[in-house]
Amino acid sequence: METANDSAEALRRQILETEDELKRLKDQLSKVEEKTALEQDGPVTQSKWPLSAEEYQRYGRQMIVPNIGIQGQLRLKSASVLLVGAGGLGCPASVYLAGAGVGTIGIVDGDVVETSNLHRQILHNTSSVGMKKVDSVISYLKSLNSQIKYTAHATHLTPENAAEIVSSYDLVLDCTDHPTSRYLISDTCVLLQKPLVSASALKTEGQLIVLNCPPLPSGDEKGGPCYRCVFPKPPPAESVVSCGDGGIIGPVVGVMGVMQALEAIKVITEGRLGGDLMRAEQRSNTMLLFAANGNPQFRSLKMRGRNPKCLACSANAAMTLETLKAMDYAFFCGVAAPVSILGPEMRIEAREYEGMRLEGRQHLLVDVRDKVQFDICSIDGSLNVPFSTFQGNRALVQAGECPSWLSMTLSPDAPIYVVCRLGNDSQVVAKKLQDSGLDKNGTREIRDIKGGLRAWKQQVDSSWPEY
Amino acid sequence: MSTASKPPAGHFTILYFASASSYTARDSENLPAPLPVSKLFEVLEVKYSGIKPKILDSCLLTINLEYVDVTDDSASDVVIKECDEVAIIPPVSSG
Repeated sequence: METANDSAEALRRQILETEDELKRLKDQLSKVEEKTALEQDGPVTQSKWPLSAEEYQRYGRQMIVPNIGIQGQLRLKSASVLLVGAGGLGCPASVYLAGAGVGTIGIVDGDVVETSNLHRQILHNTSSVGMKKVDSVISYLKSLNSQIKYTAHATHLTPENAAEIVSSYDLVLDCTDHPTSRYLISDTCVLLQKPLVSASALKTEGQLIVLNCPPLPSGDEKGGPCYRCVFPKPPPAESVVSCGDGGIIGPVVGVMGVMQALEAIKVITEGRLGGDLMRAEQRSNTMLLFAANGNPQFRSLKMRGRNPKCLACSANAAMTLETLKAMDYAFFCGVAAPVSILGPEMRIEAREYEGMRLEGRQHLLVDVRDKVQFDICSIDGSLNVPFSTFQGNRALVQAGECPSWLSMTLSPDAPIYVVCRLGNDSQVVAKKLQDSGLDKNGTREIRDIKGGLRAWKQQVDSSWPEY
Repeated sequence: MSTASKPPAGHFTILYFASASSYTARDSENLPAPLPVSKLFEVLEVKYSGIKPKILDSCLLTINLEYVDVTDDSASDVVIKECDEVAIIPPVSSG
């Protein structure tokens, strides 16, 4: 066994070293190719054709589509596109843009690749776990198309750096995952007059909209609407669900990223990057809504133009590049602080709860995660009453009555414990149970398990699956 | 989300997307028509306590695939008619 482990370890090391060597060779190759490309295209051997022989071959299949043509291809080549986010949207979007021959591609992301990204973030692979996402994506894109200039911005977009980063690009793709970045990117694009292709996805649904296109100055009502025109008010922070909490199906976010690349290619090849051209040709604004289980799956919604009361793009907007730097997007969108609504007498540590279980005391453990999560793993004997069923107090009844999920055989003074994934929802439910009178005026103990099932794994059962 | 069928007489269809679907625990339902659009949120708040501040206030609303600005005065005359398709579309921000 020992020797098998040793040789596996030696092989892993060897693979890593070989991969490093491969990466070094690829970098070397792309530098050599860059140099030869410069020499070929340079003024000395000026070709009579606007693209290189390799480019005609590489892009021929899309160039012969009338919507693109040689003009569209040249527009792609001279365009620079910034993708904010190298995740579920950024991966498919960037691969099609690099494939199509967009001249310059910049990618902003401050995160590193995690195993839980791999089912949908298709440019990362198992060996890139722990690597910066921008590096992982750019290394893939380079092997796909080395003729493109790639710029890595290994940072999160912030009010301080947004204008500086965005200003050197013609078009922006919002591939991020939070309302704060969505408003920040939109505001920056309005101020710098850049069109913005915004997509998002969660669970089985996605949204796609081309914003600020045409990218006319604030106050010009012929300009395209911005994110604030469509969603003036951010959702309350506690109702914002991430892919980590709500889940996401790979092809759902994939289809949105692919559509995002398509819209970007349309904007570029139709010559819609500049503001002036578009004055003549106003298009109707639409939002594409995708629902995997919908009928139809795609809905195209007719949107209005710029909102005359918009804080960012209307004539009354007071935003400037200077005030943008001082904007507090976290404050504007609200921050979902960790829930802390229970006093210490209503909380129990996971290990204390385990001790009580071992004593065999009669009690009820209510697990308020969604059923799908409960089905993945649950504590023996626990009862699943999903948090959503407590919304609007549907799972509760008038004081003094017994809710349907509560067994009649449970003794009226047997304690009720509430557990969830991380220990936030459990507090909300414990409080609701107490408020509805189930604590029998203090004779029954109602508590939540502090830190939820994550604490259970840390303190009690290390084999608990972390999903 | 099976919405291909028409609502029964005297009703319109309302579609719930994203967090609106999680909150109501359904993708769609039929509600009595006609209904002034200005009354829609009240009707939903009665059915789903807390939905207005948590979901509806930050939503996009469409009638027959067309945006309606509920905060605008011009929308106060709009009436949802029999067979209309209303959609509640909260912003999805993840990706």
